[in-house]
Amino acid sequence: MTSKVFTGLVRKGLPAIITVAVIIFLYKTYGAWEYTVENLPEFFRLTFEHLLLVLITMCFSISIGVTLGTVMTREGWEKISPVIMAVVNVWQSIPSLGVIALAYGLLPFIGLSGIGMVPSLIAIFMFSVAPVVRNTYAGIESVSSDIKEAAIGMGMTKQQILFRIELPNALPIIMGGIRTSTALVVGTAPLAFLIGGGGLGFWIFTGIALVDMGIMTAGAVPVALIAMLFDFLLEIGEKMIVSRGVQADEAQLAAL
Amino acid sequence: MGTMLKLDKVTKIYPGTDFRAVDELSFELEEGEICILVGPSGCGKTTAMKMINRLHSITSGKIYIDGQDVSSMDTIQLRRRIGYVIQNVGLFPNMTIAENISVIPNLLKWDKRKINERVHSLLEIVNLSAEEYKDRYPRELSGGQQQRIGVARGMAGDPPIMLMDEPFGAIDPTNRDHLQNEFLKIQEKVKKTIVFVTHDIDEAIKMGDKICLLRDGKLIQFASPEEMLTYPKNDFVRDFVGGDRTIKRLNLFSISKVKRDDPPLIKASAGLEEARGTLSEYGTDYLVVVDENGRLAGLAANEDLQGKGETVADVVQRTNAYLDGTASLKEALSEIFTHDTGFLIVVDGDNKVSGWLDTNDIKKALKD
Ligand SMILES: Nc1ncnc2c1ncn2[C@@H]1O[C@H](COP(=O)(O)OP(=O)(O)O)[C@@H](O)[C@H]1O
Ligand SMILES: [Mg+2]
Repeated sequence: MTSKVFTGLVRKGLPAIITVAVIIFLYKTYGAWEYTVENLPEFFRLTFEHLLLVLITMCFSISIGVTLGTVMTREGWEKISPVIMAVVNVWQSIPSLGVIALAYGLLPFIGLSGIGMVPSLIAIFMFSVAPVVRNTYAGIESVSSDIKEAAIGMGMTKQQILFRIELPNALPIIMGGIRTSTALVVGTAPLAFLIGGGGLGFWIFTGIALVDMGIMTAGAVPVALIAMLFDFLLEIGEKMIVSRGVQADEAQLAAL
Repeated sequence: MGTMLKLDKVTKIYPGTDFRAVDELSFELEEGEICILVGPSGCGKTTAMKMINRLHSITSGKIYIDGQDVSSMDTIQLRRRIGYVIQNVGLFPNMTIAENISVIPNLLKWDKRKINERVHSLLEIVNLSAEEYKDRYPRELSGGQQQRIGVARGMAGDPPIMLMDEPFGAIDPTNRDHLQNEFLKIQEKVKKTIVFVTHDIDEAIKMGDKICLLRDGKLIQFASPEEMLTYPKNDFVRDFVGGDRTIKRLNLFSISKVKRDDPPLIKASAGLEEARGTLSEYGTDYLVVVDENGRLAGLAANEDLQGKGETVADVVQRTNAYLDGTASLKEALSEIFTHDTGFLIVVDGDNKVSGWLDTNDIKKALKD
């Protein structure tokens, strides 16, 4: 028992401590702390924009990704699913900067502005949705045929089978996709600044342009913290919504 | 007891194939009977079974449950009325044991209290403590325990009919034997009409009230296990049930049906003189010694009775040459051969001597 707690602490606590140490070191060395304090209102605005960007894109990625992944497993959609998969894969394979540039260049053709929050959202969404689609599809496909046959034989409707059996059992794999997707979103979000999408990218790119490590660090460090925050939140969320019967147990986790 | 299940010239041709996976299969089952579909792999057992709950469509012919044509019923409603147990169990990993068992009662919209009671009573029936197991998840159970939950789940909606596709097929022989016995005990209590698929003729003989032997989709023989062993219809049946038919039939008789009621008894309190007289009357090698209440105390051989002592109690020797009346003739035979008494003592639940039998009795039982 105590050794379990100990390994848990080492696994979770140690990286956190190291990260905090690195952050303090960076802030001290480059004067990022002073810059942040001097520009506190702007810091809050940029952080808020950044969080908004990440949250909204995640909502779209999850809802649309899970829906697409589910649709691909439905009877009668076998022909279309490779197409869907190919499209989202291509979106992800384009370098993130490229997607942003594409959104900037292409959206005007369908009557939308290429500048601002909306094109950023669309671009980041396109770049990040693939893991959710892929894992939802794989997760549902991985539910064993015995389980599905039992469900059908017991008189469950297709809908009941999807919501009570297939999705809950696919959830650990789907959550894996959502985590990967979140990492992509968080990593791409700073680029939104390039097409006027706001967020902490402003400080990062300004810092780079002025070769001022202080400004850059003042933007980059919160971005990293936000990434860690989301990962942490997802882990808690996963514990809450994934049934204990299909969660990877502690022993398995420790072996990773 | 009416006809519960009736198949009338049921035929299945899978789309895209041109052979009959099931070919004009007809049989009837009475309420409370277990019918075993048995035959070589690929003979159509699973197909025949899955047409009953319409997991497969029927190409031609009719299936009636309790007089009602299944093709006229709503598939979802039909399936909720039929218990379904499959070889690989298929418990839902995301649900607890209690939740797994309550799936059908929930679909049938039973109220919470009734479902809860049902879960408890079913766990009791399959011999798993409710307190200990109801909140566990399937992966926390052994294979045998999971299979028992599978059976409990199949019975949960109190269905008049149950379909079981090789339910014990994936379980090792020792545990399988145990589960079969347990299942027969459960069936004794619940008396469901059951269609049970297996490829194992021994299981069929043990479990079935009726055996339905198929080959290439066709019904070869539909009969009780005893009839099939005694009067196999043709060479195929004879081969399928195996050269050891006679030995297998031994499984079908319990010794209480075959035993004789006049064992060579002597009370433990009887004097040796009297005992010697009794022994020569019976002409056996041993006397069965009982206490005042008729319970088995042991055996006494001729030499023992010549020895010192006043009563039989002084010379009695303990013995293992006895069996409960519910044991099968096969067990009886092997017991007779392991002891040199030449006969076997039959006792009831209280260890009271109720009869005896020897190899001649067994031979006679197999003849008629
Ligand atoms: N879905 C299917 N499509 C086509 N042929 C099938 C299908 N399922 C079973 N069969 C064929 O039907 C025959 C009977 O199969 P099955 O009922 O599974 O046999 P059993 O359960 O006795 O082993 C076999 O020849 C098998 O190959
Ligand atoms: Mg089969």
